[in-house]
Amino acid sequence: MNNLEKYQNVFKESFQFEGDVAQLEYQAITEWDSVGHMQLMAHLEDTFSIELDVDDIIDFSSFKKGIEILSKYNVTI
Amino acid sequence: MTLPLSFDINGIKACQRNRHPLLFVDRIFDVIPGEKASGVKCFTYNEWFFPAHFDDEPNVPGFIQVEALVQTFIMSFLSKEELRGKKTNFIGINNVRFKRKIVPGETLTIHATLQSFRRGIASGSAVSFVGEDQACSADFVVAVPDVLDQFKPKESH
Repeated sequence: MNNLEKYQNVFKESFQFEGDVAQLEYQAITEWDSVGHMQLMAHLEDTFSIELDVDDIIDFSSFKKGIEILSKYNVTI
Repeated sequence: MTLPLSFDINGIKACQRNRHPLLFVDRIFDVIPGEKASGVKCFTYNEWFFPAHFDDEPNVPGFIQVEALVQTFIMSFLSKEELRGKKTNFIGINNVRFKRKIVPGETLTIHATLQSFRRGIASGSAVSFVGEDQACSADFVVAVPDVLDQFKPKESH
């Protein structure tokens, strides 16, 4: 499984979402609320063995923005 | 501060926001903040629910047993200075098992373990006993909204 597939799976599993995850944004679905956001961040950290900075957690507002943020941790999607 | 910590009822009320008639732990002991907590709840026939559950066979309702477990569990992290007095919300309850009926005059002893506390989400478990007999056990995921809010995105894009 490549990083893109892993990244997509994190969103699908965190939110039990089977739609187009590439279009997801914070609060666009009910599952991505403040609790869902923390579950998503924890799942990402476990999947890619990283520890996200607080500023990056706050900036992580969409699937697309997340790709940009993960590149700072040498995770290329 | 000498470890482990103990809390009487006023100390419990200073740490968590549950109040009568929905506060179901009388004393907390053996607390290592961020790791574990134990609690005691004494049930007398004066409890408000016994006449209703049931008039001919009073025993502690399951949801109250679960509340006693989780109210002990949250003391494992609300005992930390920076978290005292914060509200909590259930995220999930799993693997609930009831092994024994609890009747008036019995005392429940609860042992709770915090497995992780990450950015306002706590997960762990608790188990209760009457004497040597196991009464109830469950795994919990609990949120501290005040902490969660510090990490949520400022706006959607």
